[in-house]
Amino acid sequence: MAKRGKLEIIRDILKIVQENHSIKPTPLLRRSNLSSSRFKEYFAEITEKKFLKKIDGKIFLTEKGAKFIEKYKTILNFIDEFEL
Amino acid sequence: MPPQLARVLTTGIGIELIYSFVIIVASLMVYYGTRELYELSSHKGIKYFRQAFLFFAIAYSIRFFIKFILVYANKRQIIHLIPNPVGAIILFIFIYASAMAIFSLVYSLKWKKWRSFGMTVLHILAGVIALIAVFVQEGPIVYLLLNFVLFGFIIYSVSVAYKNRKKKNTWYLIYLLLSVFWLLNIVDILIPDFIQPFQFFIYLASLGAFLIVFYKVLRKSN
Repeated sequence: MAKRGKLEIIRDILKIVQENHSIKPTPLLRRSNLSSSRFKEYFAEITEKKFLKKIDGKIFLTEKGAKFIEKYKTILNFIDEFEL
Repeated sequence: MPPQLARVLTTGIGIELIYSFVIIVASLMVYYGTRELYELSSHKGIKYFRQAFLFFAIAYSIRFFIKFILVYANKRQIIHLIPNPVGAIILFIFIYASAMAIFSLVYSLKWKKWRSFGMTVLHILAGVIALIAVFVQEGPIVYLLLNFVLFGFIIYSVSVAYKNRKKKNTWYLIYLLLSVFWLLNIVDILIPDFIQPFQFFIYLASLGAFLIVFYKVLRKSN
């Protein structure tokens, strides 16, 4: 299986949250297929970017997070098209 | 009507205004049109790509301003404005923004390989080039030499990026044309009459290159 890029990992984490509506950190870590340290790294970045929010120990997708999922393919196509 | 203004209005500054306006608007639309993609992804390539077009917009705005001032003040060369501190500052910003536009565009293609030295080195290099243009007032030879250095940088970087390209595309040629015609636009400001016989062709080619990028960016960012 090819190594996932950073944007793909972020998209995968957000997708898991979206599909579950809300999820606790431990099952999210398990389903993300990342090591604990890498998950922490990505999770910190994603919450800092306000793609996810944590309420009462549960993780929810924000509007910005949903926008990222929606625009994910456009972002990849853009990077690919201009070879950035 | 003041005689200076009458002179400005009869020297084809209208064409300059339209030419600059189209390129500035196209560059700013590339910059703002890709804002959402960058804000969502924080991708470095997108960041430097956008930055290049912001610098192009700044440089083309200053270029038009310099053209206007030269005609208004009835001066032939930018060098004649340099004893005035404002003239020196304007020339510094113009050369700095011009060099940064080219550096950012090349860096957006090469940022993964050049991560080690980052953009700081290129900012310093652009500053040094701008200082040389302001303080070494030897006229055309130094200006041509500076442009030749930038030209060499573009040719080297784009050819290396082209060899390592992931797929067949024409972007490298468009980036090359965009940069080369921009260098000729700089020469036009620094050395009057140097490109005069080809000016119309250079303006058309520059417009073409910017509009191609603008069109593709709009299509691919929505």
